[in-house]
Amino acid sequence: MSAGSIVTMIVILGLVWGGALYFMNIAYSSERKKAQTK
Amino acid sequence: MSDKDAFMTRLGFVTAAMGQAIGTGNIWRFPRVATANGGGPFMVAYVIAIFVWAVPLLMAEMCLGMHTRKGSVGAFRDFMGKKYTWMGGWHAFVCLALGAYYSVTMGWAIKYFVLSITTLRPGVDTELVWNNFISSPWQGIFYHIISVAIAAVVVFRGVNKGIELASKFMIPTLFVLLIMAMIRALTLPGAVGGLNYLFNPDFSKLLNSRVWLEAFTQAAWSTGAGWGFMTAYAAYSREKEDIACNAFIVGLSDTSAALLAGMTVIPTIYALAPENLYEAIGAGNTGLTFIWLAKLLPTMPAGTLVSALFFLAMTFAAVTSLYAMYEVGIKSYFIDAGWSRRKAASVVVALCFLGGLPSAINVEFLNNQDQVWGVGLLVSGLFVAIAMMKYGLEKVRKEIINPVSELYVGKWWNWCIICFPAMFAIVCGWWTYQQFTWYPATWWNPFETYSPGTMFLQWALVIVIFILFNNTLAKVIISDEVVKTDVIGQPVKGGARS
Repeated sequence: MSAGSIVTMIVILGLVWGGALYFMNIAYSSERKKAQTK
Repeated sequence: MSDKDAFMTRLGFVTAAMGQAIGTGNIWRFPRVATANGGGPFMVAYVIAIFVWAVPLLMAEMCLGMHTRKGSVGAFRDFMGKKYTWMGGWHAFVCLALGAYYSVTMGWAIKYFVLSITTLRPGVDTELVWNNFISSPWQGIFYHIISVAIAAVVVFRGVNKGIELASKFMIPTLFVLLIMAMIRALTLPGAVGGLNYLFNPDFSKLLNSRVWLEAFTQAAWSTGAGWGFMTAYAAYSREKEDIACNAFIVGLSDTSAALLAGMTVIPTIYALAPENLYEAIGAGNTGLTFIWLAKLLPTMPAGTLVSALFFLAMTFAAVTSLYAMYEVGIKSYFIDAGWSRRKAASVVVALCFLGGLPSAINVEFLNNQDQVWGVGLLVSGLFVAIAMMKYGLEKVRKEIINPVSELYVGKWWNWCIICFPAMFAIVCGWWTYQQFTWYPATWWNPFETYSPGTMFLQWALVIVIFILFNNTLAKVIISDEVVKTDVIGQPVKGGARS
């Protein structure tokens, strides 16, 4: 596997999988806060 | 609104929304299109398309549903005014038309899940197996019935006990199945070479308009942006469900599933038959999946198990989209008109079953419907963008999106929606031009499977019918102020026109 392909893979997966986990974490934290304040 | 007809948790809403987005297209189309369009450059264009096209449109659709608490028909009426109700009629119809034949393709996945356990072994002529299956109308109808029945069970049980419960189970399971299949694929000797194709960094191809066209159309179709799902699901959501964050989760989760499938399919083909990689990719969705993968998967160690996992994942992906399609029709045409769920679900399921029969019998009819209503989704997306512009983009952003969102949505959202008609014109115009050049003698013929003529004729018929019945449709849908209640049946302040 070429260095260029590895870099492309890391950037794309980082952006997509990292992004999905980041937004899921925001959603999870928000719901936890709401549950605590109830 | 009874507790049956509302999402009780955010997890339920998000998994259902992810389920509508993740479908067979993620598994059988994304890997093929990505590799055929240069790999890395396609990925870059695709990620841009997710952020500037799919996510803004998903947000817009959620606005329609959350603000009006209606499915497509009532949402367009309440958002734009009575004379635009026909746009909502079109919006929901396209989704139902897709649902009618989608159950046939889900039936193929079920059939191949069964075959992977019983028949698919190394050396089996998978082309013959596929041709025998596809030329047998009774088998097509049988598996169509099974698919419709599975989705029907979910929609009959309602939103909370059907859609929410099924999605909470199926979406995590789907991801586990895809991850297991990817790990097995990537541990095959030589599989890493497949990743080289999938993430090929030849970015000069970004200058090729076809790469952008394919990326934008795949993003639009894959995420469910413009389908009406998010409008229907948002109408069932809790009163202050986060719009921005949920739209990003749906868009990026859908892309994550597509990448998992890509990192399974392409390395598998490359490891097992590197000389046939481009032949397999060029074989189309069905050729790649039901001939090439059906042939190659059983040849690897633990191949029967991997093959079964792959087709089961595909079945799960299909069913979570299929019941969402039914729900769009159930909510938009019937529940909003005061029908009971049982009666509404019976009518929609029966109509979709009957509408899918020609596709189950004749694959050319299915291909025709796939093209006509697949491209019709772009028109649906255009209607959503027009609805936002008519209401006022700043008003939508400041009064509907930002008050309920954890993330602040800036003016970039306005620009994405403003640019949507131009992006639509480029994508559709280029596609139509291609059709004219590919089929100079038959492009006008409405009886040709892939001609623009068949597409424009069917679109025109549906649009004319909905325009003719616009006022009736606007009257039939119950006005909001009377029925609007929250998930525990208490009246909710603020409605569509508050």
